Amino acid sequence: MQEFITIALDAVRAAGASYADIRVIDERTSEVYVQRRSLKRLADNTSFGYSVRALVGGAWGFASDTRLTRDAVASAAARAIAAARASASVPKDTPAQMAPEPAHTDTRTGPCAEDPFAVPLAEQAEVLLTACDTMLGVPHVASAMGWLQFIRSRRVIANTDGSFLDLTNTYAHPFLSCTAVIGGESQSRQYQGGARQAGFEFVRAIDLPGQARRWAEEAVMKCQADDGPIGVMDLVLDPDHLSLTMHESVGHPTESDRILGWEANFAGRSFVQPADVGHLRYGSPLVDFTVDNTLEGSVGNWFYDDDGVPMQRFPIVAGGILAGLSATRETAPILGLDRSNGCCRAQSFDRFPINRIPNVYLEPGPDDGVTPEHLIAGVDRGIYIQGQGSFSIDQMRRNFQFGGDVFWMIEGGKLTRPLKKVTYHAMTTQFWGSCDGIAGRPHWKAHGVMNCGKGEPAQSMRMTHGAAHARFRDIQIGDASK
Amino acid sequence: MRTRADVQSLLQSVLAHVQGGEAEARYAYEKLTATRFGENAITQNTAAASESVSIDVLYGRRRGSASTNKLDADALADLVHRADAIAREAPEDPEAVPLPGPQAYRDGAPSFFASTDALPPGRIAADIGLVVARAKAERLTASGLFQATTGIDGIANSNGLFGFDRKSYVDYSTTVHGANGSGKAVQNRNDYAAIDVGGLARTAVECAMLGQNPVALAPGDYTVIMEPLAVAEILAFLFFTMSAREAEEGTTPFAGTVGTRLLAEAVTLHLPVDDPDIPVAPHGEAGLAVRPTTWIEHGVVRRLFHSRYWAAQKGVEPDPTFFPLAMDGGDRSVADLVAQCRRGLLVKNLWYIRFVDRRTLMLTGMTRDGLFLVEDGRIVGPVKNMRWNESPITFLQNVTALSRPERIGGWGVFKVPAVMSNGFTFTSATDSV
Repeated sequence: MQEFITIALDAVRAAGASYADIRVIDERTSEVYVQRRSLKRLADNTSFGYSVRALVGGAWGFASDTRLTRDAVASAAARAIAAARASASVPKDTPAQMAPEPAHTDTRTGPCAEDPFAVPLAEQAEVLLTACDTMLGVPHVASAMGWLQFIRSRRVIANTDGSFLDLTNTYAHPFLSCTAVIGGESQSRQYQGGARQAGFEFVRAIDLPGQARRWAEEAVMKCQADDGPIGVMDLVLDPDHLSLTMHESVGHPTESDRILGWEANFAGRSFVQPADVGHLRYGSPLVDFTVDNTLEGSVGNWFYDDDGVPMQRFPIVAGGILAGLSATRETAPILGLDRSNGCCRAQSFDRFPINRIPNVYLEPGPDDGVTPEHLIAGVDRGIYIQGQGSFSIDQMRRNFQFGGDVFWMIEGGKLTRPLKKVTYHAMTTQFWGSCDGIAGRPHWKAHGVMNCGKGEPAQSMRMTHGAAHARFRDIQIGDASK
Repeated sequence: MRTRADVQSLLQSVLAHVQGGEAEARYAYEKLTATRFGENAITQNTAAASESVSIDVLYGRRRGSASTNKLDADALADLVHRADAIAREAPEDPEAVPLPGPQAYRDGAPSFFASTDALPPGRIAADIGLVVARAKAERLTASGLFQATTGIDGIANSNGLFGFDRKSYVDYSTTVHGANGSGKAVQNRNDYAAIDVGGLARTAVECAMLGQNPVALAPGDYTVIMEPLAVAEILAFLFFTMSAREAEEGTTPFAGTVGTRLLAEAVTLHLPVDDPDIPVAPHGEAGLAVRPTTWIEHGVVRRLFHSRYWAAQKGVEPDPTFFPLAMDGGDRSVADLVAQCRRGLLVKNLWYIRFVDRRTLMLTGMTRDGLFLVEDGRIVGPVKNMRWNESPITFLQNVTALSRPERIGGWGVFKVPAVMSNGFTFTSATDSV
């Protein structure tokens, strides 16, 4: 390996690169996919490749390959240099530079108690086949589907700072869903626990077959429920639901590349500006959001990001005030930061690392004695939403509309009846500003996301969010109805 | 880059490792030259190439799959061994379908062009320079992605089927921002020579200039003129729900609709195989030969998508693919549709579309990169972007006029017209541009 690293880095140094790195990624992925009672896919996939990224004359070049030979590595380095020189023909006003970072040498492996690649795929398939069969056994359930995906990714990163990192992470990504049909009504219910950095023990712990009947019965319940009301009322949202809300309305708007306009053609820009840090009221004084890429078991804990920066923990909203932004080594100097906070990642060996949402979570409320029931008891008329459903937000992350998975009417401080087809609409700072109650730490729950889309060419990314139940006042409900 | 004979030889060598049972082997190659820009400067410049082989091994109703991007002899032998081991232990699949035999593939319109395959980063950067210069001249900022892709798909199975497809395409897209408004333009072509960079820049810049300082308009139901880019985005969601099986299960709005008029008479949606603007791959799923298919004809649902299993259950031919999707139009321009509109909104682009209710196909999303009020046949001025909640079924039931179809890339290749439709529901506004 060292020989190839030397070939790549010597070549880009000779071309005058102010910074360069080589990332070698060896990945194995297992997939089990079931639709209804049909085993659609049982697969063991391997992928190997590397990229050379070079900053020459303040402009970037990048090339990737799958053949790790002297000639191929030299060719990749040459192509990266050529690309950087082409980039320099349409230059930035200020040449790109990387925030300083000490050299790191480290070898790390993430949590994985039971090696998923040692669990026969046939055994894994039985988990889903049993769960789907259970769901389809509930009257009115018309379809069911699920998957189990495990990824083991080994990244070796070496850069011109002198860093050499050998990092291995294993991800468990389960899913299960069913759809019930009664007359002209059709409603779905799905597993809402998200993904985790773990082995097969995570799948055993969540017990999909054991929960399948309840979820199927709840899909039927939704078909028979009243449609959601229309009007302004209060919301109590569960942790799985809030993980999506914060992803869209907190994680994305605080990405520095989006703020700087580099995502304008696709994922969009942000209503947040760099000067807002320390001033912008993002939420009520109860609202504290923390970036924590060191969170154990989170899918965003990569030990080091793809800039070679260690994972970090820092506030992004404190007491309701914007306190920070996610950054890379390239965006940090532009933001006036001395050092990157480690939020630069690439989907795969053949994708350019970009600023990605880190692990971001809503801190629990200050009183551990506050329960979801306490929050509901404080609502005269409102809706309790469990889990994730429909979601959409504008390109600057202001105007959003969310659905959910299970809905309950709150009347007189109690859950009175199930509902269906509930959506709510708000503006980001108005929504977080309306938060007047957050349950305590015992109710806090993490939720791993495996498929955040961003970048061009498109990249998918992983991060974990989390929250305890929270209450929001005077939210517009149901304007999706016609 | 491997030739047809190379790919056939490679796949045969993979199949030769299979010890009993059936097998389907696939080869994929992609060369991607992609340059990204933002705030009038190039921000990324990538050159990537990869090839991979995947295989399904079948023992009756048991199936195992594996893939690798290492193509040396040892890696390919290991690939087959891994898939074989999975297949031998796999539970039986009650919906397993035998592999198809050799197919007769059509000679379609050319889809590979050396001008695209050999497009160097320097040429792409020069094209970006043209767009940036045009934007800077108007004190605007340009962002975008200009990329060229070459792809090869090969498929072979133990029944003697072999299919090969080689294609190239250029995707140029740019978004141009002013202080308070934006415009977007896209071009997707197989042949780089057919790309009009000047036209792309002009379209985005003119839209951005026209779109500055939008005014708020009350949410409600409006006649819309959706430009082809927006139409393609909304049609993709229609096609996500056109499964024959899901319709029969009652989970989509197509339940019980085959043979009935569901959409306006002007609406015809089909998969053409001979339109040179949108060359079609010769084969689709499992190597099945792609054939012309009419999904919706003059508003009547003619056919829903049948997987191989569902087709066998129903005694019909399976559908190898949805794309490319063509929607018939007329001879008029978008300007002609605007001239016909008494009061409505011209919608340039849509964003973040998601299902709200799959059974009714209720969607939500935002407008983006140009929303204009039209009154008495002319554009009055820009309007602040709005959230909408609408079903494509309703949108296509209320069609009053269509323009000439244009090719649009995206989640698949489309050739669709601008669509004028009544009663499209907007539910809230935003200051975001």
